[in-house]
Amino acid sequence: MSGAIHVFTARRVLTMNPALPDATHVAVRDGRILAVGGAAEMADLGPVALDDRFAAKVIMPGLVEGHSHLHAGAAWRDPYLGFFDRTDPGGKRWSGLKDIDTVVARLQQAAAAKPTGSLTAWGFDPIYFGGRRMDSRDLDRVATDRPVVVTHASGHIMNLNSTAMAIAGFDRVNDLDGLVRDDAGQPTGEVQGPELMGRVRRVVTPDTLSRALDADSLHSFGKLACQVGVTTATDLVSDMSDDTVAIYRAATADPAFPVRLVPALSTRYFNPADGVARLNVLRPTSTDKLHFKLVKLHVDGSIQGFTARLRWPGYHNGAPNGLWYIAPSELAGMLEAWHRAGAVIHMHTNGDQATEAAVEALERVITAHPRPDHRHTLQHCQMPDPALFRRIKALGLCCNLFANHIYYWGEEHVAQTMGLSRAQRMDACGTALRLGIPLAIHSDAPITPLAPLFTAWCAAMRLTAKGRVLGEGERISVPDALRAITLGAAYTLKLDHLIGSIEVGKLADFAVLDDDPLAIEPVRLKDVGVHATVLGGSVFPASPPA
Amino acid sequence: MSIPVTVLGGFLGAGKTTALNALLSRAEQRVGVLVNDFGVVNIDAALIAARQSGMVALSNGCVCCALGPDLGEGIARLAALEPPPEHVVIEASGVSDPWRIGQLARLETGVHLDAVLVLADAQRFPALLADRWLTDTLQRQVARADLVLLTHTDLATAAEIAATRAALRRLRADVATAAMPVDGVPLLLGMAHAAPVRFRAEAVSGHGFRQSVWSPPATLDRAALLALLDALPDSVLRLKGFCRLGPQRALHLVQRAGRRTTLEPWPDPAAPETFVLIGTPDMPSDVLARLCRERNGGSQGSDIAASKPAEP
Repeated sequence: MSGAIHVFTARRVLTMNPALPDATHVAVRDGRILAVGGAAEMADLGPVALDDRFAAKVIMPGLVEGHSHLHAGAAWRDPYLGFFDRTDPGGKRWSGLKDIDTVVARLQQAAAAKPTGSLTAWGFDPIYFGGRRMDSRDLDRVATDRPVVVTHASGHIMNLNSTAMAIAGFDRVNDLDGLVRDDAGQPTGEVQGPELMGRVRRVVTPDTLSRALDADSLHSFGKLACQVGVTTATDLVSDMSDDTVAIYRAATADPAFPVRLVPALSTRYFNPADGVARLNVLRPTSTDKLHFKLVKLHVDGSIQGFTARLRWPGYHNGAPNGLWYIAPSELAGMLEAWHRAGAVIHMHTNGDQATEAAVEALERVITAHPRPDHRHTLQHCQMPDPALFRRIKALGLCCNLFANHIYYWGEEHVAQTMGLSRAQRMDACGTALRLGIPLAIHSDAPITPLAPLFTAWCAAMRLTAKGRVLGEGERISVPDALRAITLGAAYTLKLDHLIGSIEVGKLADFAVLDDDPLAIEPVRLKDVGVHATVLGGSVFPASPPA
Repeated sequence: MSIPVTVLGGFLGAGKTTALNALLSRAEQRVGVLVNDFGVVNIDAALIAARQSGMVALSNGCVCCALGPDLGEGIARLAALEPPPEHVVIEASGVSDPWRIGQLARLETGVHLDAVLVLADAQRFPALLADRWLTDTLQRQVARADLVLLTHTDLATAAEIAATRAALRRLRADVATAAMPVDGVPLLLGMAHAAPVRFRAEAVSGHGFRQSVWSPPATLDRAALLALLDALPDSVLRLKGFCRLGPQRALHLVQRAGRRTTLEPWPDPAAPETFVLIGTPDMPSDVLARLCRERNGGSQGSDIAASKPAEP
């Protein structure tokens, strides 16, 4: 039996379907799009309920975040210490912190509000502070009777107070790689890299980025998603444990949860045979709101953490090359197992050498085992040159580029990691589109804020935080950028038959905007207000009534 | 008692799993092994006494355990066994720097770092080193290893072995190398495992390594001792012993792994003033005594002995 027909009208409906790019009406039945167009296309549907609450708004497809992490929701249990303003799930805007004293002051407030137990904070981003680096003495002003652990925005560095340093044992054994020292050779309380940070998380306290996923994280993530128009999001590193899966299921079974989830099984937690078996068990349990199909593997580390694998000429500042997280010689075997199992493989490759290794391995795997329409995707993929992009194209790979990096770390890449010339071609959306490579762009939330319109702005403008245009030739048009955060991202998730555009038969997922992103100056794209989202025809206001 | 930890590194295919299998099946001590991939360790079923999630107990008292994402947790799990293992061996992943794992192991309580061993395939090492993606990874593994063990020397030609040794020396001039004994990795374990005041050097024999004992002069000068040890040939892999240093004749524990010497004051006056050396078959059995004679133009002790303590 069919349900009632609900017709939304809008100032403009941007469909992302080039055959019918513009509309004013969209009809919804049973959570799916029944018709799209103008009054004429609604006329033959029979009785409909006309809903003109969005008549002054602009409707576009629900935004798709192809690379996020659901603990972005839980991050807000801890104080936010970032340089840039950021909005919490409750809609409160936290001002950015511009020097060490204001960081310490916010931590002192948090300490007063939480008088016992360890204190953790996140998002610390001192690269534009100038002057000295924060050290243990600063954090000792917050507390000395309990550990204080501050995680940097990049997720690759921590600052510890002296109590935390002592609990971790870093005061005892201190000839450790990753322990930053001052000119006198004393540890400063800054800790770099996954090994030492892992120890802090285990021995001292879990930090904002390492807490286990729970129902509250998803609840908060849902609120963040609503604020920014996101209706489908990935959880791109999942342990896929029974507990984690139960949390996904409980959240998505709740009609009040406003996001479709696409978790990716991380190969970190499984050997290939067990991982394939696990995904095979989960896949048939997928629902419209919960999709098990992705696998994620990490080939290298991060560029700003100097753990990404770079080709010649290496790091601009002369730092040694980064780390393989999977041996290049093992890559083909792993990829083959997942490719033959029918998974959609999302490969974290930051540096161009890691991308090249992944491409070379996939050339062998796909040649030996052709699989049309695999949708395997390179994630981050920040540094390939055009020749490597042509190989990516030849293999039918998709790219999900980290456009937000240009704004948040572009200046750092110019000064430290790549130099101006290479930094201008990082996150090369322009090249990818010129070659016809399926393109998505992402935030990696909580590393940078979940906000696809901002991400699209980054790809269109390529402005750094200092206002420099970094790589004019890699800018893309606003329509292309909007496509990358809707149908483009949906394509990389192999969900483009369900989401990503407003077409008959697809799920009725919309982002309702205050302004028309195609009618404004591109530089204002990030400021377009999100009024509401619609998921399967149900309306979720972006800011819940007070 | 603190459990010694050995980290076993080396690129994929260097023979780590083979070496660990041999170790587990032939160990003369209760060894706890943390491995990367539990699935590929092929333990003889006849040896398996018990199996539980992520852990296999062998009838000879050894335990093999999967190394999860958290090294410290793995070590803690082994150390909590009843009885605890007498030695822990950690298999480093093929792309990691085993020295960094050694650093982290040193942070854990109840264990201490014994040595970082890196395996190198005597046939393939130079080719791997020339791989554009691997050069720096292998360089990092060798840079701080206490000892590089050449594997597959039974299959390699003399020229291949020489090429591998040369490649290793180009990476690091003072690298200590030895051929992997045919009967597996348990080298140096006896040495490392020795309780501070008692050496169980017998565990070393039979594994293709030589042992040498030296009684130092009654008093040694610290700088002269360090100079003497620095002059030791590459064939000396490990050294451990006690001696009295300086005008106060303070008792010290002296340890040397590869090119790394540590000296620490030792509180127990009963410690025997003896050095035990472990080396490759090339190591002269009287290596320290001979070196001492050479440096002193024939008479042992006069140069390196400290000046007599001042009369009270």
